[in-house]
Amino acid sequence: MVDSPNTDQIYLQTRDSAWRVRAQRGWELTRTMLANPTTVIGLTIVVLLILMALSAPWITEPNTPDAYQMPRDWSAVRVPPGSPGHILGTTNRGGDVLYGVIWGARTSLKLSLMVVSLTVVIGVVIGSVAGFTGGRVDEVLMRIVDVFLSIPELIFALAIAAVLGPSFTNIILALVVVFWVKYARIMRSQIIRIKQSEYIDAARVIGDSKLRIYLRDILPNSFTPVMVQATLDMGNIVLVGATLSFIGLSEAGIAEWGVLVSEGQAGISAGRWWAPTFPGLMVFLWALAFNLVGDGLRDVFDPRTESAR
Amino acid sequence: MMSEGAEKNPSKSPAPVVASVADLQVHFQSKRGIVHAVDGVSFDIHDGETLGLVGETGCGKSVTARSFLRLVPKPPGIDAGGSILFRPRTTCDACEGRGCESCHQTGRVSAGCSACSGKGCSECVQSGEETLDLMQVSNSRMRSLRGDRIAMIFQDPGKALNPALTIGSQIAEVFYQHRSAEVLDAANVDVSGIDPGSLLLKRQAAQQSRTIERTLLKIPPLRSRRNQITAAVDDMVADALAETQIANPRKIMQRYPHELSGGMRQRVMIAQALACNPDLLIADEPTTALDVTVQARILELIHELQQRRQTAVLYISHDLSLVRRICDRVAVMYAGRIVEISDADQIFQDPRHPYTRGLLAALPSATQSRGKLAAIEGTVPELVDPTPSCRFSGRCPNEVETCARFDPHLQSVGDEHSVACFIYHEPPEGSGGRPTLAARSS
Repeated sequence: MVDSPNTDQIYLQTRDSAWRVRAQRGWELTRTMLANPTTVIGLTIVVLLILMALSAPWITEPNTPDAYQMPRDWSAVRVPPGSPGHILGTTNRGGDVLYGVIWGARTSLKLSLMVVSLTVVIGVVIGSVAGFTGGRVDEVLMRIVDVFLSIPELIFALAIAAVLGPSFTNIILALVVVFWVKYARIMRSQIIRIKQSEYIDAARVIGDSKLRIYLRDILPNSFTPVMVQATLDMGNIVLVGATLSFIGLSEAGIAEWGVLVSEGQAGISAGRWWAPTFPGLMVFLWALAFNLVGDGLRDVFDPRTESAR
Repeated sequence: MMSEGAEKNPSKSPAPVVASVADLQVHFQSKRGIVHAVDGVSFDIHDGETLGLVGETGCGKSVTARSFLRLVPKPPGIDAGGSILFRPRTTCDACEGRGCESCHQTGRVSAGCSACSGKGCSECVQSGEETLDLMQVSNSRMRSLRGDRIAMIFQDPGKALNPALTIGSQIAEVFYQHRSAEVLDAANVDVSGIDPGSLLLKRQAAQQSRTIERTLLKIPPLRSRRNQITAAVDDMVADALAETQIANPRKIMQRYPHELSGGMRQRVMIAQALACNPDLLIADEPTTALDVTVQARILELIHELQQRRQTAVLYISHDLSLVRRICDRVAVMYAGRIVEISDADQIFQDPRHPYTRGLLAALPSATQSRGKLAAIEGTVPELVDPTPSCRFSGRCPNEVETCARFDPHLQSVGDEHSVACFIYHEPPEGSGGRPTLAARSS
């Protein structure tokens, strides 16, 4: 009576437990991702950057009292790269560029992690409410999202940060306000899609409550695109954040790449290229690396875009 | 209002009625008007029988079936009227489930009416049995019926299982939802005491625990009892799976749906649907997505489990030859109406309605030589704001003027056989003649 006993046997022999199945699936996904060389490059850079950010207090002497403030060495102002004690040179106010680059990574990691986690939570909650409730609630929430999306990202963030006044916290706030909308959109469309799946009907048929269906069936099956977007945003946020800092919306003297570029840009015409170049390069690397990883993730989770590689 | 003939069930049939659909109307709001997807459908389902609901795509058979579980999305769906009366059943007191005279050897009797304790009142239509109108009951009551008293098997088992959960946890869900007392019992957990742990375990068995409670349950003395619950549920799941003759249920439980073949997935769906021994099983084309060899086995399995448990089955299909093989009675639907309902044998040997005749004639047979396939001419009518007329008019070979102006109702033409056609009963006054079976010469 058992259909195709041979295949059944094969299924049973090859795998043993749910845990192993899960591990196997994880390994398969990782392998698919690592098969793409650009993803590997991106991943390597990401790992290096994060390592650098995490080990900042050990590779450089932290500035006292606030390690996130640039140390000022007034005895060595505007020295070029290669000078003793200042491998990457100093800015026109005696700030060590290497210190800025390393602690800037830490600042960027802090910034992007905080903004991404906050925006994901806000976006997932609002998107879920909209998608799950539907009707008028959905309509109102999505029109609000449309309003937010209609204003260009950078200009919107700039406006909010400018209104709040120059500070690093305000940059975080401004970015959160700008970036949550995408998650709400993604989450809503995912939920509406999953809601129409037959297994949601099947879950209702066995008597599950709405909340339980949401937590067990809808949420786990709609989360991957959010994860991909979050990875891409890890890069974008640092890019926009650095722009805001460059314009001067961050506290002066903070070890942040945008601030460093802004501090050094006046010296470019005088040939002091190093102060803006190195931090600028870091912003570039950071944004590039996370975008490469994000694209790799998208290829793995959404096979439809795979051919576009 | 529609079909007096179908409602009166012959006294010959010993099995009690499990569900009774009366003048069910489900409409859909669309841009072009109101679509009458189900327009006055009436039929009864008796305990332990298989009723086939046959019709072409879009005739309203799935909507009818889904109405039993209130799965029709609203909006755009509109409950336009009618009722679905459902009589949940319990174990027979006299024989404790072994089967005796008073319960027709099924071991189960209708649950007593809670309002009049079996004496008969207006609430239970004087039957003394608990009768629920599935269109009216509260949402929480509906949830307690779903999966417990009424279950459903879906068309495509690949789509009806959550890809992110193991098979075991998906079947366990039914037990957690509807059998928490049995789960605790099987785990030998005494929850009658005032022990604070027992409350936690009770909530755990009903899958209601919150994060803090789940954390509490990880503390050693409670953990062992929690593990007992898990083990008990695992046993129940394995038993449910074993009943579907799946090989190695313990291992299948740990699989994910994508790792199983289509036939195995459908077995899992059946195990899940029959886990709580429902009174009514709705099978919405359960074998359409499977290939023919597996199809036969799945049908055998459903039939066998149904026989053993005396579950009534509402079997929805467009496959006539299949329906003939497995159904006791057959209702033929066309454009939101039932046009003919009868015993399966009778309907295949002596089809009355021109549509049923057309359907049967369109069945290609193995003995016939190759040639042009027979088909019913024309297309299904628009169901948007229909005028009073026979729905089959325009395609019917026996049509006369009357058919386009009056609406035939389902009326008895003999033993448990009802047809909605003017050929078999008198059209109303002032009509333009009566159709006959003699086919138009064309």
